[in-house]
This record gives sequence, C-alpha cells and structure tokens, in this order.
Amino acid sequence: MPQQKIRCLLAMLGTDVHNKGIRTLAQLLRDRGVEVIYLGEHNTAGGVINALIAEDADVVGLSYSTATYLHYTRDLLDKMRTAGVGDVPLMLGGLIHADDEPALREMGVRGIFGPGSTMDQIVEFLQTATGKTLPGGAAAGA
Amino acid sequence: MSDRPGGESVAVTRTGTGADPGTDLQIIESLARGELRVAARLISRIESGDPAILPLLAALHARGGKTPLIGITGPPGAGKSTLVDQLIFRYRQQGKRVAVLAVDPSSPFSGGAILGDRIRMNRHSADEDVFIRSMAARGRLGGLAIAAGDALLVLDAMGWDVILIETVGVGQSEIDILRHAHTVVIVQTPAGGDAVQALKAGVLEVGDIFVVNKADAAGADRTVSQLREALSFRSDAQEPESWHAPVLKTQAVEGLGIDELVLSIAAQAEFWRSHPQQRATRRRLQTRLLLIDQIAETLHQRQQAGDRQQRFEQLLDEVLARRCDLHTAASRLLDHAMK
Repeated sequence: MPQQKIRCLLAMLGTDVHNKGIRTLAQLLRDRGVEVIYLGEHNTAGGVINALIAEDADVVGLSYSTATYLHYTRDLLDKMRTAGVGDVPLMLGGLIHADDEPALREMGVRGIFGPGSTMDQIVEFLQTATGKTLPGGAAAGA
Repeated sequence: MSDRPGGESVAVTRTGTGADPGTDLQIIESLARGELRVAARLISRIESGDPAILPLLAALHARGGKTPLIGITGPPGAGKSTLVDQLIFRYRQQGKRVAVLAVDPSSPFSGGAILGDRIRMNRHSADEDVFIRSMAARGRLGGLAIAAGDALLVLDAMGWDVILIETVGVGQSEIDILRHAHTVVIVQTPAGGDAVQALKAGVLEVGDIFVVNKADAAGADRTVSQLREALSFRSDAQEPESWHAPVLKTQAVEGLGIDELVLSIAAQAEFWRSHPQQRATRRRLQTRLLLIDQIAETLHQRQQAGDRQQRFEQLLDEVLARRCDLHTAASRLLDHAMK
C-alpha cells in the first residue's frame, strides 16, 4: 500500500540553543503523522542542505530565538537555490518580529509561525505546501 | 564547526537537478556516479511502496552485493548513533566513503516518527563522502526488512566503501533488518539486566561482535562477563572453525574502545574471506529468511489490491463471528491471492 508521508526536516542554525519550541513541535508533528527528521541545534546551512538532499525532505522548518534570523535565512535560501533545492518549502518558527515578516516572505519563506500559532495552522500549511495529506489532517482543522 | 553562515561545502556537484531521472539504465548510471538526489528520491519511492521501481530494484540486485554491510543494533539509549558517528570518523580517517541507513520506529498511533539519529553524526554534516539516510519503520512488520534491503540496494549501487545499518533492537522486524548485514554488532550497556535482556530478545544468536558501551558506568565488567558466559553456550561456540564473537568495551562519547571495534569488524570480514564455506552457509540462512519475509510481503501487497481488500474484510467479519477460523480464512485468502 503506497504511503505518502510528509517528511519534515527541523533544525536550528548557528549558536541558537533555545530548542524547547522545536522539540515540542517535533513531537506534535509526529503525533499528526509527520516523519520528522530532527537535526537539533548548531547546524550550518551546508549541513541542513546536505541533510535535506539525503533525506529527500518535503519541507524544512527552522526555529529562531535570536535576532540574527534575517541573515541566517537569506544565507540558507541562497545556498538552497545554488544546491538545486530552492523549491523545497521553508517555514520559520520562534521569535519572529512581525515587522520582519514581509522581508522574509520576499526572500522566499513560505510559512511563519510565531507565538500563538496553532498546530492546525501548521498542519494545514504542511499539507498545502507539500501537496500531501496527513492521516486525519483534513478533519484536524474542525 | 563553524557557526556562522558561509564557508562550509555543499555537495552541489552531486545533487543533480532533481528533474526526471530518466530510464532505469540512466538511474543506475546516475547512482554509480554517486548522484545523491537520485538516490534519495529512489529511497523515498521504496519507502512509499511504489511498484513501478521493481524492475529497477531487480537490476540493482543483479549487480549488487559488493559493499560491506555492517549492522548495529541495541536497545534505545545504548549509544548506537554515537558509536556509528565514531565508526564514520574512523573510516573517514582511513579514506573510506561511508553510507549510513538509520532505521527508527514509527508511532503505532499516528504513523509519524521522530528520526533523530543524525544529531549524533552532525560533525559529518558537511562531508560529502558521508551519506546518512533515516528511515521510519512505518508499521511494516516483515516489510521493514524488505524496504530496508531495497534501500541498501540503492546505497550498494553507489560505490560506497562501507555501509552501516543502525536499527533499534526492540522488535522482531527491526532485528530482521540485520539479515542484510555481513557483520552484526550488538550494543549493550551496563544498565541492570541488559545481558539477560539480550538473551530474551534472541539477539545473542545473530551477533558477530558484542559491545558493552558506557563502559565507565558501574557494572560494566559484570555485563561483559555475563555476555561472555552466555556466548559460550551458543551452539557454535565449541566449533574450532567458527567465528567466536568477541565482547568489547567502549565509551562512545569519549571515543574509547573504537579502534578495537574497528579492528574486530575488519577481523570478522577477514574471517569470512578465509572461510568461504561458513560465509556461504550464513548468507544462505539469511537469504532464506529474507525470501520467507518477501513471500509474506508480496502476498500482503496483493491482498490489498482492488477488490481483494473487500474480500479480506469479509473474511475478517467471518472470523470475528466465529463462522471461520484464522487458519481457514488465511488459506482461502492465499488460494485467492495465488491466482
């Protein structure tokens, strides 16, 4: 029986160590039927991209709690395009200032989920961005 | 490790375009060139059970069997991923190119999974001569060993010098993956009762090398001697011409005992080379069990095709109502599926 799972890479870049949020998200996504490839903290853009390619992930999620996210995100997206994986949707979570959202979207960030975001919003984003359905995903929004 | 953006290498040249990979022959050539994206996509198709790749897998199987496969298993938290990280490090020092297949359980409730083995291997993340792929069990039972074996065919076709297979030794389906391995390393810790747990799980019989990791913890020597004693009762222990599984102590986080493990793995491979008869017997046993797995998997897949699923549900109802027993229901389904 074909099983079209959503494979989601979750990582933190650079020196950011506040991993509570992304660890919680990993568990919540697993409970929604997502295969989470969890890279933890202290990743480089190159390391994330190599993992993205090897794991054939459908989507990448980054979490930030420091103010350097514009710089890191632009760098990652540039390198993703160079590596030929610029088409893989990128979502951000954590402490993202509302003022920065237009700039991030302009760069190519597809989803931004700061404090107050719900799991249903994230699940809906994952399904739309990947074109795959999660078990119970459609009903989950109800 | 650099924590600022820029500077680290990305395997751009071998990522390919991600476009249509072409005919089976072109895919095989792409794999032989080491195109990572082609391999990664192919493994995804194996994972999703795409029947269209069966001819390609047959072609890969016909050409395969060249790369040494080392299986590493043990209970959760034993330090398997850290040991794998250390093995990658040592093999890279020897100039070998390494692929890793890391299999983790899926949640039986949601079907989701957290695949976190890469974290322990993060220092190799920018090394394009290391390829790590995570695989979730997806509740496949016997099918897990089949799917893992198919993924290993893909890695085998890429010309890596060594392939490591990491799997949690908790369920039969995870242990079954070791049927693909030429050398099986079983990892234990000194935590209470682990040596006895190894006996219970039946993993004692399939191990070629035993590792007591976290050897600085209390009870390590006791665990080692318990394992040695248990191994001395193994049916092949008294045969002079058989491989006698060593028990090693490691502290994977500190990198201690890894050289001995690398030497043991090499010695085991050398044993197979110098004992072709034993190697053939082992391969035959492993392949026999894999073929039995495959029969069950093939029948299971046929069962789920089209109207057969409905027939399955009807017979399930009959069993529940006790109008038919399990043996009879299975026979009827199989007679039907063989047609």
